[in-house]
Amino acid sequence: MARRRRVKAIQGIAVLATLAVLAGGALAWFSQTTEEAVRRNRQAAEARVVRELAGADVAFAPATTVDAGEDVVLFCERELVVLRGGGRGYGGAFRLAVAVGADGAVAGVRVIEHRETPGFGDILEAGTAWLDSFRAGEPHAVTGATVTSTAVIAAVQRLAARGRQEACVR
Amino acid sequence: MSVFAAAALRRNPVWVQLLGLCPLLAVSNTVANAAGLAVASAVVLIGSATVVALARKLIPKDVRLPCFVLIIATFTTAVGLAMEAYAFALHQRIALFVQIIVTNCMILGQIERVASKERVGRTLLDALGTAAGFAAAILVLGAAREVIAIGFPLAAMPAGAFLVAGMLLALVRVFSRAGNPGSPK
Repeated sequence: MARRRRVKAIQGIAVLATLAVLAGGALAWFSQTTEEAVRRNRQAAEARVVRELAGADVAFAPATTVDAGEDVVLFCERELVVLRGGGRGYGGAFRLAVAVGADGAVAGVRVIEHRETPGFGDILEAGTAWLDSFRAGEPHAVTGATVTSTAVIAAVQRLAARGRQEACVR
Repeated sequence: MSVFAAAALRRNPVWVQLLGLCPLLAVSNTVANAAGLAVASAVVLIGSATVVALARKLIPKDVRLPCFVLIIATFTTAVGLAMEAYAFALHQRIALFVQIIVTNCMILGQIERVASKERVGRTLLDALGTAAGFAAAILVLGAAREVIAIGFPLAAMPAGAFLVAGMLLALVRVFSRAGNPGSPK
């Protein structure tokens, strides 16, 4: 009786382990297959945001990397610099672009991608009063979305400080 | 009644069994989002039900639930990746709700009730019917909310989802001749 139970347990473990390996392998293959398309989509989203911030007619070479971990200057011309960087909000990593003008002030902020809880992430949509408040100076953390808003404020301030050192706005 | 029609109508996952309500209420604010989630749920349901039906004799009874969830999770992740690669705009709007398809009781329920016991053909018909029933429900709710929101903006907001879904459910019960829809077989 004890032996049969042991055999059954081992059987269960073996089936589950085999299934996990198969599922992992299938997903690894599929993630590799879609990787290139996902990268292109992210670059396109980034290019769209740069055009929104810098004007529809700008010549713009997409950044070679879409890794959110580093800050990248996407555009630096006509006394305007657009940078892209990332941060970690409540739901995960987000990427955003910040435009800095010749006076050193933030000229615009656009969130490219985020994983915040639906509803709470609404303040990050293009053209919301909260994102526009960065242009006026000091934005305030948003009640109910404290983690999201403070993380975004920190990322914008970091990118703006870096942007002010670029040649095209100095 | 055929297997397909029974799954889609008499045992409609939403209006009769009241399953899958979380994504139904959250993503039915527009018809486009509703259609996206309906397709994603259908792919996960049909795919994992077929795999379970094919492998049902290899899965020991004691570990069947972890196995089912693992299979559903694999399909859900794959659908999420496919959306990110080939439907990026939709992905940015409903990605979070695609991820939680994995916890949709409609899918686990269908697999436990049908796919783990029946042959592939019958399972496939039932899964297609269930998916069609869910799609019909979420599309009707999405369309109703979008139309009502023209004159009554609350309908497009989260609270409106409960109101409109409740009214549609009441309508279905009034017109349903299936006897007592509250006790699905």
